[in-house]
Amino acid sequence: MKVNEVDRKVTIKDNELLLDVIRDKVGVKSVKASCWRGECGICTVLLDGKPVKSCLVLAVEAEGRDVKTAEALAPEGQLSPLQKIFVEKGAMQCGFCTPSFVLTAHYLLSVNPDPTESEIRDYLSGHICRCGTYKQIIEAILEYAKQNKQGKQAGR
Amino acid sequence: MSFGSSYLTLPDFEYVKPKSLQEALQFIDQHKDEAEILAGGVGLFAFMKERLVEPRWVVDIKAIKELQTLRDDGSKGLSIGAAVNMNQLLDFAPIKDKYKALHDCISLLSDPLLRNRSTIIGDICEALPYVDGPTPLLIFDTEVEAASVKGTRRIPMNEFIRGVAENALEPNELAAAIHLKPPPENSKSLFLKHTSSSEFSIVNVAALCANPSRPEARTMKFAYGAIGPIPKRVHEVDGIFKRKAPVPRLIDEAIDSIKKSAEPMTDVLAKAEYRSHMLEVLAVRAFRRLLGS
Amino acid sequence: MGYIGKSMPQYDSFLKVTGTATYAFDVELPGMLHAKLVTSPHAHAKIIKIDTSKAMKVPGVVAVATGQEFPYRLGIYVGDRDVLAIDKARWVGHPVAAVIAETLEAAERGIDQVEVDYEPLPTVFDPNEALKPDAPIMHEKMSEYRVSPAFKPIPGTNIANQFKLVRGDVERGLKESEVTVEGEFDIPHVSHAFMELQSIVAHYGKDGTIEIWTSTQSPFSTRYLMALSLGIPIDKIVVKAPLCGGGFGGKVGIGWEPLVALLSKRAGFRPVKLVLSRKEQFSSAPVREGFHASVKAGFRKDGKMVAYKARFVMDAGGYADYTVNVCRAAGYSSEGCYEVPNIFCESLAVYTNKGATSAMRGFGYPESHWALERIMDIAAVKLKIDPLELRLRNLLKPGESETGTGERLREDIGDPVALAKSVAQAIGWGKPPEKAKRPGRHRGKGLALCIKGPAQPPNAAASAIIKFNEDVSVDLNIGTASFGQGTPTSLSQIAADELGIPVEKVRVGLVRSTDSTAYTWQTVGSRGLFTDGIAVMDALRDAKAQIKDIASQVLKVKPEELEIANEQVFIKGAPWHRLPLSEVVFGYTYPDGRSIGGPIIGRGKFMSPLTTYLDPDTGQGVPTIFHTFGGAGVEIEVDVLTGEIEIINAVQAFDVGKAINPLLVNGQIDGGWVMGQSVALYEQMVFDEQGWVVNPNLSNYRIMRAKEMPHRIEEIILETPQSNAPHGARGLGELVMIAVAPAIANAVYNAIGVQITRLPMSPENIWRAIQEQKPELIEEARRKLRESGGD
Repeated sequence: MKVNEVDRKVTIKDNELLLDVIRDKVGVKSVKASCWRGECGICTVLLDGKPVKSCLVLAVEAEGRDVKTAEALAPEGQLSPLQKIFVEKGAMQCGFCTPSFVLTAHYLLSVNPDPTESEIRDYLSGHICRCGTYKQIIEAILEYAKQNKQGKQAGR
Repeated sequence: MSFGSSYLTLPDFEYVKPKSLQEALQFIDQHKDEAEILAGGVGLFAFMKERLVEPRWVVDIKAIKELQTLRDDGSKGLSIGAAVNMNQLLDFAPIKDKYKALHDCISLLSDPLLRNRSTIIGDICEALPYVDGPTPLLIFDTEVEAASVKGTRRIPMNEFIRGVAENALEPNELAAAIHLKPPPENSKSLFLKHTSSSEFSIVNVAALCANPSRPEARTMKFAYGAIGPIPKRVHEVDGIFKRKAPVPRLIDEAIDSIKKSAEPMTDVLAKAEYRSHMLEVLAVRAFRRLLGS
Repeated sequence: MGYIGKSMPQYDSFLKVTGTATYAFDVELPGMLHAKLVTSPHAHAKIIKIDTSKAMKVPGVVAVATGQEFPYRLGIYVGDRDVLAIDKARWVGHPVAAVIAETLEAAERGIDQVEVDYEPLPTVFDPNEALKPDAPIMHEKMSEYRVSPAFKPIPGTNIANQFKLVRGDVERGLKESEVTVEGEFDIPHVSHAFMELQSIVAHYGKDGTIEIWTSTQSPFSTRYLMALSLGIPIDKIVVKAPLCGGGFGGKVGIGWEPLVALLSKRAGFRPVKLVLSRKEQFSSAPVREGFHASVKAGFRKDGKMVAYKARFVMDAGGYADYTVNVCRAAGYSSEGCYEVPNIFCESLAVYTNKGATSAMRGFGYPESHWALERIMDIAAVKLKIDPLELRLRNLLKPGESETGTGERLREDIGDPVALAKSVAQAIGWGKPPEKAKRPGRHRGKGLALCIKGPAQPPNAAASAIIKFNEDVSVDLNIGTASFGQGTPTSLSQIAADELGIPVEKVRVGLVRSTDSTAYTWQTVGSRGLFTDGIAVMDALRDAKAQIKDIASQVLKVKPEELEIANEQVFIKGAPWHRLPLSEVVFGYTYPDGRSIGGPIIGRGKFMSPLTTYLDPDTGQGVPTIFHTFGGAGVEIEVDVLTGEIEIINAVQAFDVGKAINPLLVNGQIDGGWVMGQSVALYEQMVFDEQGWVVNPNLSNYRIMRAKEMPHRIEEIILETPQSNAPHGARGLGELVMIAVAPAIANAVYNAIGVQITRLPMSPENIWRAIQEQKPELIEEARRKLRESGGD
């Protein structure tokens, strides 16, 4: 499968989860896990561009497909415009859930570039931030949308 | 649901991905209870991580073209294949236009990411009390198309759920599709649910109404779920609303009829008394919204 | 440079937002094995026999360990914990054995094959039952436990700690009161539910050195307590704390580290990793105790509170280690931020056959304030005094009043009157709320105040080391753990500001390692900014003195005539006589090559000269190093038909002394609101009659998500600087969730006249309370529903 634009080949068993294969065999640690039941969203990855909870996907289902994680948003060490706004707004505390929120926000903005606050809240309903930075996360997404509308962003 | 063990890994199994429905049916006919169907996997993997289910084979049906149907045939109704995920259903205009209760139900189910994987058929096959899918399907007189090597049969939705985690499929059958009957012209439908100190529903209702202001021609279909193991369509409600009487009185009678049929349970999610009360609240709200003021 | 009061993101934000931050959850060591726990299905049972032979045959299993092999007792205040259950299991989920295997999968197969023979014993789940003389005893060997002198477990009973706060004469106070009110208050067990599960990697080396990577707030306490319990020299243990994915008081003191280290030794000195599952976080790891309060308060007619009598019973479960101090803190905070001349509070931590308990954000104060701030509003009704006014009449007066423990408050401790008024104003107190638009809904406003200081031993210390690099960048060496609260960032701002260098040149490391990191007791109790900040400022003073000492020799003036700014040291008033710091921080070299001074190492420390032990019978003394005042206000809308509460407008205010970094302070205020609302409205651990946790997952244990955010949430920062605090700053990390629940409950009464005394305020619980107290509201709403119902 392709992980963050790089072709990777790993040997897996049928019963391995995509989450564990990405973390342990491919070595991409930005994908975290917390509940292994699809309740917290912290294992979010983009599978063929669509966000899924990787603790509920078999690795074998991702054969030949494209996987993207939070690292893909900032190749070459430059933060994406959305990531920059997340940082500026303080939309993170312990940071454990941050990759999953950034990835999910990135996807939401790609299909809905000008979401209402209500749409943002609904879209994030499958994710938990125990540090409680929802206000800052919502503000970051709204700010990105606003800046994008005003053409200040190169768009991503 | 809640108990079970703390496993983070899945038990051992072999993964197969049949390319045709026939191939899949032959496989599960051969392996019956040792094979489990994988569509979205949300329910299946949760059960497997609790070791409540340990199949020898996991059969991924997502590559089977016959199971990817999503079709609204006007007079024939709506057909949804087993491999269609819930976000696809939300994007399908005819569902939002004509089968609004189903649309509302799915838009409130889990979250947008899980909906990229979960299927409505997976939801109803899980048959846990708190799944929301069966309730709107009941008011559209849905039939579940159960396929096996011997052919297909149609199981009415109100016979599909037998008990907690128990559905009407035989071990060699696969729920290939669900077929919803077309609702009456100009009808409106809705779905409501309620939660308390859990993410899961403790009661849900679906209702469909046509000709709200003309009693003799009025249709009112009503179903509820999540208060017990088996969701129910309350047929008497239709007859009640065809009578000529002030609407508040008809609503009272409908509630009485609903409460007679309902057996709310007490569990970790809520007590029976509260479920009973909320069933009434949601039902009245549903009737009111559909009948207008 | 002006970094004090400057909002800026945390120093590790780049790593977090790109997912490249490393947590203990991510740590791997070469040759690492995986451990998995075998836990008890019985709430109370003798362990007769453990047969590990079948488990050893599972491919990949390397070893199986049982409690008998590890005869050590663990604990920070009461050594009541076994490494693995030895003689008996005390709750459902109590770890009784551990399987170590090459892969996690093999370990999970292995635990299924461990056969344990139990002999069930009588159980007790209700702490009141556990207090009865004929109750089954949880800890028969209590008298053998190591106990910190501040605590009083009572052998022969299930009392893990008994604390009494005695001030004045409460019975006389109550008799002389003109108005008295009473109440019973309850809070269920609650889980920290941090997102990073407890993760420990330990390597017991053949040379006896133990290396441990752990998700923790307290690497030094862990090291010390582990050395103490295992009888190992302290320097043989190295505890490494990387970035921590959420602590909230659940990763403190000593946790699973000794177990994992011993498993490493058992598995042939190979590294072992243990990660708890979410279910195990609920049913095997410590959670927050269940709480019950019976209180009685006496007032004069003018609203002056003259007496407060309370009894707290904490359901402390199978192990009560940290809970004994939570019990104590709840006791000495019982009267909150009010001046009460007569107080009696008895606070008990009681063992039961439920899971182990420990500290959680707030440390007994959310519990004591749930009772107190509710009783204030209940009293306000009876006294016919506005709840804000009642509080204003009783607030502690800085510089004058004594707290319940007899501590006279510093003059610069804060401005509680201004704080209370600011909260009230922010929610439009005094103006009735807008009428709810939809039928069956009622709006109301409520507020609550709070106070807290760090609960720590009086001699809990902190230190800091500042090291310069050749380019005048600085390594700020602090023991402050980083779990999202942002304290290390604020400390780096203090350092940059004081040294006159850009904050980007202050480096705070990502890992706290006990063998090289400056010591601090623990990062808990909202102490970090204060204690570690004082140590940092002390280190800065020391570094600057050393710089000036060298520069004075070169510039030929007295050190006091020098100033440091903009990466230079220069003569005050004649700044053209200067040296760049880069020529001083590694000593100064004269043109001819002779050199003076040497590398600058600033050393700083903190100890508290003012805090004391508390009197064992009356609780009198000075328990905390500072007090922060706070308050929450809220406007809610209650749907009487469903019991749902919607938060319309929320505000929290704190007198932090000085907001070193307002962005981070606001982050704490907002984040604390979320956790406070979550615990207030949704969270409860549910146990069945056999003691099983029935909802050990994040669906049935409901946690607040983005969609439940209030419509509006406001943060108010007051700054009454405290002269002995770093730039005047006090801590607030826990304050932020203490006042939320009572404020919401007070608003419920304001909206519909129903008194809520138990948490959570879930829709069902609210509906039930309305049914019991004001069924007519529901009847009316039902009637309206039938009439016009669609809403």
